[in-house]
Amino acid sequence: MSFLPVVLALLAGAYLVAVLEGWVSTGRFRPAGPILSGLALLGQESLVPRTPDRIFFEAGPVLLLTSALLASAVLPLGPGVVIVDLATGALFVNAALVYVMVALVMSGWGPDAAYAMVGGFRFLGQLVGYSMPIVMVIAAVAMRAESLATTEVVESQAALWNALYQPVGFVVFMAAAMALCFLPPFDLPTAPGELAGGVVAEYTGWRLAVLRLARAVLVVTVAAAVTVFFLGGWHGPVLPPWAWSAVKTLAVAAGMLAAGRYVPRVREEHLLAWWWKLGIPLALLNIFVVGIMLVTVGG
Amino acid sequence: MAGEAGGCRSSGVLGVSALHQYALLFGMVLATVGFVLCLAVIARSLAATKEEGAKDVPAASGELSPEPVWVRYHVRYYGYALLFLAFDMEMAYMYPWAVVYRELGLVALLEMGVFLAILFLGLLYGWSQGALRRQ
Repeated sequence: MSFLPVVLALLAGAYLVAVLEGWVSTGRFRPAGPILSGLALLGQESLVPRTPDRIFFEAGPVLLLTSALLASAVLPLGPGVVIVDLATGALFVNAALVYVMVALVMSGWGPDAAYAMVGGFRFLGQLVGYSMPIVMVIAAVAMRAESLATTEVVESQAALWNALYQPVGFVVFMAAAMALCFLPPFDLPTAPGELAGGVVAEYTGWRLAVLRLARAVLVVTVAAAVTVFFLGGWHGPVLPPWAWSAVKTLAVAAGMLAAGRYVPRVREEHLLAWWWKLGIPLALLNIFVVGIMLVTVGG
Repeated sequence: MAGEAGGCRSSGVLGVSALHQYALLFGMVLATVGFVLCLAVIARSLAATKEEGAKDVPAASGELSPEPVWVRYHVRYYGYALLFLAFDMEMAYMYPWAVVYRELGLVALLEMGVFLAILFLGLLYGWSQGALRRQ
């Protein structure tokens, strides 16, 4: 049973991502920062707005955490080190991560607050943009692996990483992954400085702690998905398999966090136009190119 | 490899059936909910929320929003959303095709190529008719 090591690795990763995110956004490196702010949030009052949709308000953060954890359950850390090795793993990652959108719309609708609601509906629009490229790129990955099981996907990259075999798909997937984690420049639902925090604006105390934990776990999960689908998962010389997975996942997470620093936030209509006029055609092209390469030169 | 993708992987790493795997996933959901409930109990035992006037007003930059704010929201991206539905259905057919692609080879590419080309033409048509903009 590899349940405990995977969950511990995930929590450690979420902690490191929280440290990294603080470093990137404030410019100060504080290794103990997440512990301190977590304890502070636990001691803080957790207010409920005056006329909430109570079920949505309470369920939003929990659903966000659940969807990130479920997606991580099918991503292998090493050969055999995976919580459930589903035959439909690659599809399951998609299915679980769609609930990120549901969670954000729920926590946007729940508090009966204008900024939060705008944030929630914006993320619904964002999903319409990033979701199709993710699904198409993963289809191209499954074509090469001849399987949807994530362990088979990693095995298929033993000779050559997918990032090199299908670079177009890799670039599209990285951008879509950032949009999925609502990291800058795709942080439309939270939009600090514009929506006053958006969907997280009405959360305080322990509820905010759950929301922040969920976001950090989501970033780690999506970075792990990039590693599994494109960077050869646990494959690598010298170091043990789990270490390679960890190094690659953290590198991807750091790259996603750092990239957002240098790009301004994209407006919703521009975001959708870019995804549909460039992202989806590129993802379809990627499927065609991979299809032709598999027939002519092989995997 | 391709054959076993449809059913459960009897030779899976854990050696458990698909039903067990989904039971484990369901257990994870319950454990997550339990974890959050524990956090709530800990937080409540540390300090109770004080009832104070106007503390529970949602953030609205100094002005009270009309209540409730649950009015009809103009989903200006509905043109994309309609196209999204078409593509979403298509992807449901794409995954089984992707798994058996290398077995079938060129035939599969041609068949799916026709299907994708029709969809792509639909995207171009929608684009030309102004579906790909803020409505």
